[in-house]
Amino acid sequence: MDKEPSKKDDQNQGDQANNSSLVQKIQQLGQSNVPQAPDSNIHVLSIIGQVEGHVQLPAQNKTTKYEHLLPQLIAVEQNPKIEGLIILLNTVGGDVEAGLALSEMIASISKPTVSIVLGGGHSIGVPIAVSADHSFIAPTATMTIHPIRLNGLVIGVPQTFEYMDKMQDRVIDFVVNHSTIEEEKFKELMFAKGNLTRDIGTNVIGTDAVEYGLIDGVGGVSHAMIKLNEMIGDNQGPEDQVIQ
Amino acid sequence: MLYTPLSTTDIFPSSDKEFQKRQCVSHNGKQLYVEEREDGHYQVLQLLSTDPNDFMNPDYLPGTILR
Repeated sequence: MDKEPSKKDDQNQGDQANNSSLVQKIQQLGQSNVPQAPDSNIHVLSIIGQVEGHVQLPAQNKTTKYEHLLPQLIAVEQNPKIEGLIILLNTVGGDVEAGLALSEMIASISKPTVSIVLGGGHSIGVPIAVSADHSFIAPTATMTIHPIRLNGLVIGVPQTFEYMDKMQDRVIDFVVNHSTIEEEKFKELMFAKGNLTRDIGTNVIGTDAVEYGLIDGVGGVSHAMIKLNEMIGDNQGPEDQVIQ
Repeated sequence: MLYTPLSTTDIFPSSDKEFQKRQCVSHNGKQLYVEEREDGHYQVLQLLSTDPNDFMNPDYLPGTILR
């Protein structure tokens, strides 16, 4: 009963071959074509899911791997066609040293950089967000600021605590140096009690993050593009134009 | 039945097999994070690029099967 005439089978297969790429596209994005755009002088770096460090996270986690991003950041710095970089953040945090590595790389890029926190930029997402030359946060986005913690095997000696304390200071120093928030205020938010149900820290929402001086402004894509284009204009300067 | 705040992976760690199927490859000069399918083809999981135009290229959509 299942067997169809062989001629029909052949026809079906031919149709399938023709439609397969279209069907695949519809299955992937729910649409059959995507718009084409001209070459962009602005590149985009998205930091999504968890920031993965030295330990590989289980396969079902969405992660941002620093070993993938660091070469891209070098490429952005080195490619003369790229004039600016937008960093999109929607992260729950992750490895402190991987996050700091990314933050330092972004902070030391000579080209204008703008970050946008969308949804969430928690924990180690905070230094990454402030590392850009100018930072934006969506009005509904949040950033959780809390003390760092270790998991896995921890050697129970006072030195472990000292090590953690120093690591925390590195995060605090970076955020204070790359934003306008006062160190005292940042520590107050970090060690606040009663804000998070089962944890120490504060969940800072869009406008509050700007009020505290952590983020430069509330905004989205258009604000970021305007700011970045403005900075690109400043970066080129009048001297370059004379040479050209 | 489990009643716990821990994630599933904390209780049942995923096997190394999952990771072995995944790798980072270069395809036409673009870095792609791919997963090997049962039939030996590779399926795109993620495009690793900063160029927004690369994401407009239908050949690199997540889920595309590379041939």
